[in-house]
Amino acid sequence: MSTPEELEVVVAELSWEADGVVAVGLAPLPDGPPLPAWTPGAHLTVRLRPGLERQYSLCGDPVDARYRIAVRHCPRGRGGSDYVHRFLRPGRRLRISAPRNHFDLLPAASYAFVAGGIGITPILPMVRRAEADGIPWTLAYVGRERATMAFVDRLTRLDAAESTTGPRAPRSTVWASGTAGRFDLTGHLDAHRREHGRARVYGCGPTSMMDALEELCAQRADLVFHGERFRAPGADTAPGRPFDVRCTRSGLDLHVDADRSLLDVLAAAGLPVAGSCREGLCGTCEVVVRAGDPDHRDHVGLGDRTAPRVMAACVSRALTPGLELEL
Amino acid sequence: MTTRTRPRRVDLARVRELVGHPDPAIEAKVLDRLDPYCELLIAHSPYCVLATVGPDGLADCSPRGDDPGFVRVLDERTLVLPDRPGNQLAQSFTNICHDPAIGMLFLVPGYAETLRVNGRAYPSDDPDLLPMLEARGRVPSLATVVEVEEAYLHCGKANLRGGLWESGRQELADLLPSGGVIAAAHIGIDGLTAAVLEDDLADDYQRNL
Ligand SMILES: Cc1cc2nc3c(=O)[nH]c(=O)nc-3n(C[C@H](O)[C@H](O)[C@H](O)COP(=O)(O)O)c2cc1C
Ligand code: FES
Repeated sequence: MSTPEELEVVVAELSWEADGVVAVGLAPLPDGPPLPAWTPGAHLTVRLRPGLERQYSLCGDPVDARYRIAVRHCPRGRGGSDYVHRFLRPGRRLRISAPRNHFDLLPAASYAFVAGGIGITPILPMVRRAEADGIPWTLAYVGRERATMAFVDRLTRLDAAESTTGPRAPRSTVWASGTAGRFDLTGHLDAHRREHGRARVYGCGPTSMMDALEELCAQRADLVFHGERFRAPGADTAPGRPFDVRCTRSGLDLHVDADRSLLDVLAAAGLPVAGSCREGLCGTCEVVVRAGDPDHRDHVGLGDRTAPRVMAACVSRALTPGLELEL
Repeated sequence: MTTRTRPRRVDLARVRELVGHPDPAIEAKVLDRLDPYCELLIAHSPYCVLATVGPDGLADCSPRGDDPGFVRVLDERTLVLPDRPGNQLAQSFTNICHDPAIGMLFLVPGYAETLRVNGRAYPSDDPDLLPMLEARGRVPSLATVVEVEEAYLHCGKANLRGGLWESGRQELADLLPSGGVIAAAHIGIDGLTAAVLEDDLADDYQRNL
């Protein structure tokens, strides 16, 4: 069952990047075609074993022949990262989705990158890109302990790259809050504005950091926020109401009970939709909306897409009594 | 079916005479904890059978299944099983609250050998534990914690002789009436016909899987 959106790769290498963080190199099959191109901010869905798939950001260099992901071990998590750390080994073949990007690096006068913990993964290729394009950037990389923070050496090397305009202050700040205390995000972003003016702020990290960043940027006209979340920000969603769906291609009329998701109802009816994260984080379950108003509850901003209009079937519901979907 | 004369009973000495004594190598293969191979097998197993002992002293087997790896290994001496929506009989829980003894048999489709794990179990609703057992967006409200005392690989002969994973074996299912027919006969209440029970089962399978 291989769709063009899916491909097979082989685990080529594993390397320790920090305490509890392992990087995994994914190579094309020996006789296979090269891997599809990707841009900074992209992630893969990795099918670790039947019934277990997780999203991981690409943290390597887009010119490399291999994909590279880095996974933080959560021993008390839901089993995905534990599987990677304990059982994924070189030589193993894996099915992955083609790279998907909901966190695109848009052109900007300057970039303020902010990473929390393993949230450094999508940010690292962005920093490289900004550096290569000669666009001013700063990075705040915050973690608890230095030893658990991946890629610090790489960032230091990148930062120390020769400048054509003479000596310059370091642009990346690595902050271990376990020893150094709370990081002053406001002060950091205001310093970026004073030095570089307008900026796009690209943030990836834990919920508290993302919420703080979003609020800070909303209060400053010269900062535009772009964020990616690895986990849903908790159960603050309103309870669902039932609604009807008309599927224009198949002609099916379906009903979604208050306690079921649209994704479950569509899948049970045999329609070609697939879910992965089921938390509104990955966009795998995207469906095209022809009529009616969706109640967008995803965290990838599908509500902003208009041509065509789309929604995340796993979490989003309807504001109108019915929806028409292109399925 | 009643048998007038019971089959002859023999003692253990006679059993040993007939089956012989185990090879010391086979006795040595019983581990007192899970090793990485046991963990690997459990991480790929979608099905296990639990044996517990009831207050009446009778042993009871109960099947559990979910996505592969649904039983999580906390450490080399501890396993956790999620409680998925079932029939509210909670027989295994009743049993382990009475007697913590538990035996588990893990199967991996297509794999001849099985893994046997024995130990002591207790129910838990620990909020630090339950999120680990999330499946399809649902976190169970109860789990079984198993403290492992024995673990060993069971050879695949039973499985191979039974042809459990041979595709032709699926034809056997066609020789049985549906679960609804059997349940209706067992329950024996007017109105609870096979058709009604089949609808109930289908609905339960759709909603509570
Ligand atoms: C778009 C997206 C990108 C992600 N990228 C990473 C990543 O680069 N590294 C990582 O450790 N987790 C990443 N995650 C989180 C993992 O998908 C997963 O939730 C995590 O490994 C914990 O899974 P577990 O609870 O099953 O162990 C990402 C999640 C999403 C939705
Ligand atoms: S399944 Fe990931 S957004 Fe819906």
